[in-house]
Amino acid sequence: MSAANEKAHAFVAGLAASAGLAPLAEAGRQAMTDLPVPTRKSERWKYSPLTPMLVTPVRTAPAHEGWPKDVPTNPIPGLDAYRIVLLNGQVVAEACDLPVADGVVCIPLLQAMAEGRIGAGDEDWSAYHTREWVGAVHAAHAQDGLFLSLESGVVLDRPVLVHHHTTGENVASCPRHRLQVGANAEAEVVLWSSAPEGASGMVNAVLEGKVGAGARLGVDKVQHEHGAVFHLAHEHVTQDKDSTFRIHTVTVQGHWVRNELNALQHGSGSHTIMHGAYLPKGQEHVDNHTTMDHTVPHCTSSELYKGILYDRSTGVFNGKVFVREDAQLTNAYQQNANIVADAGASINAKPELEIYADDVKCSHGCTVGQFDEEALFYLKSRGIADRAARALMVQAFIGDVLEGFGQDEVAQEVEGLLADRHGWM
Amino acid sequence: MANDGEDKILEEVTGKAYEFGFTTDIDSDKAPAGLNEDIIRLISTKKNEPEWLLEWRLKAFDTWQAMVEPEWPHLQYEKPDFQAISYYSAPKQKKELASMDEVDPELRKTMEKLGISLEEQKRLSGVAVDFVMDSVSVATSFKDKLAELGIIFCSMSEAVQEHPELVKKYIGSVVPVRDNYYAALNSAVFTDGSFCYIPKGVKCPMELSTYFRINESGTGQFERTLVIADESSYVSYLEGCTAPQRDENQLHAAVVELVALDDAEIKYSTVQNWYPGDEEGKGGVYNFVTKRGICHTRSKISWTQVETGSAVTWKYPSCVLKGDDSVGEFYSVAVTNNMQQADTGTKMIHLGKRTRSTIISKGISAGKSQNSYRGLVQIMPNADRARNFSQCDSLLMTDRCGAHTFPYIETKNPTAQVEHEATTSKIGEDQIFYCLQRGIDEEQAISLIVNGYAKDVLNKLPMEFAVEAQKLLAISLEGSVG
Repeated sequence: MSAANEKAHAFVAGLAASAGLAPLAEAGRQAMTDLPVPTRKSERWKYSPLTPMLVTPVRTAPAHEGWPKDVPTNPIPGLDAYRIVLLNGQVVAEACDLPVADGVVCIPLLQAMAEGRIGAGDEDWSAYHTREWVGAVHAAHAQDGLFLSLESGVVLDRPVLVHHHTTGENVASCPRHRLQVGANAEAEVVLWSSAPEGASGMVNAVLEGKVGAGARLGVDKVQHEHGAVFHLAHEHVTQDKDSTFRIHTVTVQGHWVRNELNALQHGSGSHTIMHGAYLPKGQEHVDNHTTMDHTVPHCTSSELYKGILYDRSTGVFNGKVFVREDAQLTNAYQQNANIVADAGASINAKPELEIYADDVKCSHGCTVGQFDEEALFYLKSRGIADRAARALMVQAFIGDVLEGFGQDEVAQEVEGLLADRHGWM
Repeated sequence: MANDGEDKILEEVTGKAYEFGFTTDIDSDKAPAGLNEDIIRLISTKKNEPEWLLEWRLKAFDTWQAMVEPEWPHLQYEKPDFQAISYYSAPKQKKELASMDEVDPELRKTMEKLGISLEEQKRLSGVAVDFVMDSVSVATSFKDKLAELGIIFCSMSEAVQEHPELVKKYIGSVVPVRDNYYAALNSAVFTDGSFCYIPKGVKCPMELSTYFRINESGTGQFERTLVIADESSYVSYLEGCTAPQRDENQLHAAVVELVALDDAEIKYSTVQNWYPGDEEGKGGVYNFVTKRGICHTRSKISWTQVETGSAVTWKYPSCVLKGDDSVGEFYSVAVTNNMQQADTGTKMIHLGKRTRSTIISKGISAGKSQNSYRGLVQIMPNADRARNFSQCDSLLMTDRCGAHTFPYIETKNPTAQVEHEATTSKIGEDQIFYCLQRGIDEEQAISLIVNGYAKDVLNKLPMEFAVEAQKLLAISLEGSVG
């Protein structure tokens, strides 16, 4: 066994095997030995080697003793939403508030398994454990999460908030969610992850979604974790014809974050929106890997990621757009804009296009630059102080992403948190 | 038939060279296939090389043996069998041709299509250019004129004999032995190439050019080119190549190193038109090339390339912008047709302050080909106010070809400005229709549109080369619209 593998082995030794998802866990355990542990030499991980995470072994948290009193179950003031809360990967049932309605099944994932709502052999949609070592680690130790299933035509009246809270030292959490939106149904989901100062360990989350014909799924995803948590997240959503999938990902704070977002269009006429923003400071690391897979004709996608890198932070953006053979008349757009604000910060961007069909319109743009000195001068000449002027410009820069959120309350809360963190007024 | 044509081309190319007194009179002086230390010693002995160079080669061979062939390019090909290649061969002697009538009519037709004048066609048979025929440099000209200015332009073997201090100082300084798999291989077995040195303050009065050709069956070519522009000098260097049809894949793993000292400028232009294989992708040249230049203070290196040939291309002409205020440029048109595959682009490494780079890449894919742009723009922490602009456009001609873009942007400086944009689209049917309406046939229309699309790059080529390149684009895309 190589040194890297030995470290990886020691790292996961303290994790409890997945209880409720046995077949998947078995496949995950096997894949963990078969797949290589990502290092700086792995093309997909070259900018985000796992080495710093593997230094300190983690363990699964013991059964929880209730939701911590000082943490609000709903971190977003004013948001009227259904709620499922998880502590270190385990559902805290007494703190949840889930909808009960015709055509709606909204329950913890393990309960859905136990009730036979997930068929044998249908436990996994993403095959993430067959592709990535971290996916295998997740599968082998998958815990609980949200199971949301909407029948055809059902429109959920309120968004569902999924609040995951990490607490304790060197804790490993593997939350797993499944969203199934039937034909012409509509759902909005808010994914919020938090952690207090002093928390450390790993969050390795997977979300799988299927958006039916003509259906809509919107996701607001916010990462706001203090402490030293390594956060790995994978979303894998497939879309049927004429469906819409939207996701906004904002990393407000996170010690080390890797978001891996895949959208697959299986039905023509589908539309995908993937927007995101990241503003790391200190020595934080934020990595956004996205894959937009156009497999059928007449689909569109729009991708916009914006980042500001402060202090000695590092950012990574890797956006892959596939246009498969026969996916004619695809219109794909991708934009990534970055501002390196301080000496010592760095950004690694890799916007990629892989195109196998000819009658398509695909473009991507990527920029790295600074705040426009002239615009700054303009604001200052009108009596706005340097600091306030810079804050205004940051808000304007990030504003494109924030304004697209499904829930205004979430956007406002994110803006407030960013303002506190970066000293905007 | 193919062999016949091949021999004719051989005759045509080598015939004229003979009068420059190439000395070997063995029909083919060829080493046995296979690669080991003895072969490297043989190459070194044949070329009468000094001890240090042999040691360098052996060290490179050691390095190469410990390396593995890279898997990351977006390419699929049968890995070359390095033991089946002969690493040394001197060209065949052929009788001189009496007139152009003796030239293979197919070749003449292509030359005519390319718009090469009769005089030029004769010249192409090996006169005013430094010809690399297989592995040994056959003829060198313009030498006296250049010598007056102190310019050294000769084959690498000659440079090793006559200017060992320059070769020793600069060889491997830009592309180190362990840089990559094929660079290491080249360092171990390179047989010849061009060497050019422009002294301080000299502006080279003419474009220096080398025509590379591959002819001997089963012989890989491993050229090593070294261009050194001393302080405040200028040189424009042209490299062009054609290869006759053959059935087995031929490996070509060259290394080109450019050194631009303070205030110098090097313009390096390439037209690459090696045999791309037939419509089913059979045969064709493997072109795995490492090209890199290093820019010192206020110097400039400009790469311009028109890539139409080769079955598989793997090539990233790069600039290391080491000196403050240095400039790197990369202009490229890459055309792939039928089953061709290209993974090509550039690297701009910004080390010095106020360094600037421009990348314009135009890809054209037709048939069932795969054409990838892969580029790196790296801004290091000290490169204050560095600037980069990259534009990568892809044009798709059929619904079975692929166009891909893999740009890498790594910025570690808060004052740098980097812009990258890429677009992919189909050749405009309305534009073709417009031309057809006006009595311009489809092939001409495509040629017109493609040349317009590639204009930004073609404009950067020296004039004669640009004319040839335009025609080459048209020929490469003949019958390609689906």
